[in-house]
Amino acid sequence: MSNTLTAHAATETTNVATPVATNRKLDQWICWWSLPIFYNLFGLIFVYLGKLMPPPKPGLTTSEIVTFIQTNASSMQVAWVMLTLSLGFASLSSGLIVVQMKRMSVSPVLPYAYLAALAVAAVPGCLLCTIMFALAAFRPDRDPEIIALLYDMGLLSFVGSLGCFATQYMIFAIAIFLDKNRIFPRWLGYMSIWGAVTEMVAAPIWIFKDGPYAWDGLISFYLGTIIFVVWEYFLVASLFKAIKQQPLEELTPPCSV
Amino acid sequence: MSDQAIDAGTSRRLPGDADIWVFVIGDMLIFSAYFAAYLFVDRIRDHALFFQAQQQLSQNLGFCNTLILLTSSLFVALGVHAARLADFRAASRFLELAGASGIIFLFVKAYEWYTKLASGLTISTNAFFMHYYVMTGVHVVHVLIGLTFLTILWRELRGAAIPRMELVEAGGIYWHMVDFLWFLIFALLYLMR
Repeated sequence: MSNTLTAHAATETTNVATPVATNRKLDQWICWWSLPIFYNLFGLIFVYLGKLMPPPKPGLTTSEIVTFIQTNASSMQVAWVMLTLSLGFASLSSGLIVVQMKRMSVSPVLPYAYLAALAVAAVPGCLLCTIMFALAAFRPDRDPEIIALLYDMGLLSFVGSLGCFATQYMIFAIAIFLDKNRIFPRWLGYMSIWGAVTEMVAAPIWIFKDGPYAWDGLISFYLGTIIFVVWEYFLVASLFKAIKQQPLEELTPPCSV
Repeated sequence: MSDQAIDAGTSRRLPGDADIWVFVIGDMLIFSAYFAAYLFVDRIRDHALFFQAQQQLSQNLGFCNTLILLTSSLFVALGVHAARLADFRAASRFLELAGASGIIFLFVKAYEWYTKLASGLTISTNAFFMHYYVMTGVHVVHVLIGLTFLTILWRELRGAAIPRMELVEAGGIYWHMVDFLWFLIFALLYLMR
């Protein structure tokens, strides 16, 4: 018993002595830099390669859908492969947000719930939609009706799943309002409420095939997406500030994290 | 901060903090998008249909809910006033009454939706009912968020040694905004010819 205690004390002394300990925020900065890298790739994958943004029209005829898939088949497959390789970056940034949320004077349930809500939302919102397009692109000469089904499945899961992100936004907003340590600015909490409400309004896309509430609609898609982009920008900026202002005494030495 | 806030009743100052006003202005802009889609995209396209569909809404229930929200706004204002006078117990009582009014509003709304759905008027009936369900639905979400906000304030007034006044005021401003948005929805959907 006394041996282990001495051993423990010894490792602690070495930790303090190593030069690595001088940059105790290195892990957080690496995660922070993954954010701009991931969102640039995300834009490339969803806008340029995957053709999901801006969304094609819900009212296309079957033959128009087949032409759409056939002309973009290879770039859709590249989009899927790139997404599988880069989606890991999203987990780094989510981990960073959890680390910062755990500094708040709120129940630790909230950061874990935030993480879980994002993980749930990423399945339909990121993965299912791109895999449906990649699947349609795999055999673009199959029955046109099946191609049309995959097209619907891809876009309905992409835009129709925005409601999943509403939970994540609300958890974040509640954590900010309850937090007395002011880790994140309160206006970011309010912006998260805009996010939650505008993402919920994507629900009517399951009913309408044109107009403001269709999956390419001004309100269902564009309003929520614009707010997401603005929110994400300010989240990244607020994370930068939060890491910068975190006092060093709060950080454990890197080896024991 | 809170000392400054408590005696602020006499001096000129923006209630709440700047953050809540950024939120209110942004949220109003988001609602403007719904109003614009209703007024300038769909309503002008088929005015007769919108007029005829509007007759199927119950102005009485709409008016009831307007009164209920006005009352709850009064309670919130009285609560903020009591909190400024450092009577936190009375303030939390007023918030309970405001919250109760909010819950009654939700029950009336649920009954109204139920009667509409029972007579076969759903979100896909026509463009008017699409806007009706989306706008009233988004507003209900705002009421639910407002009730959460009031609960946080209630906890603050009951639990904290010195409640954060700017948070209490922000909650009041949020609730008034929810009330104001309902006025606009009531006017645009139920009354406007």
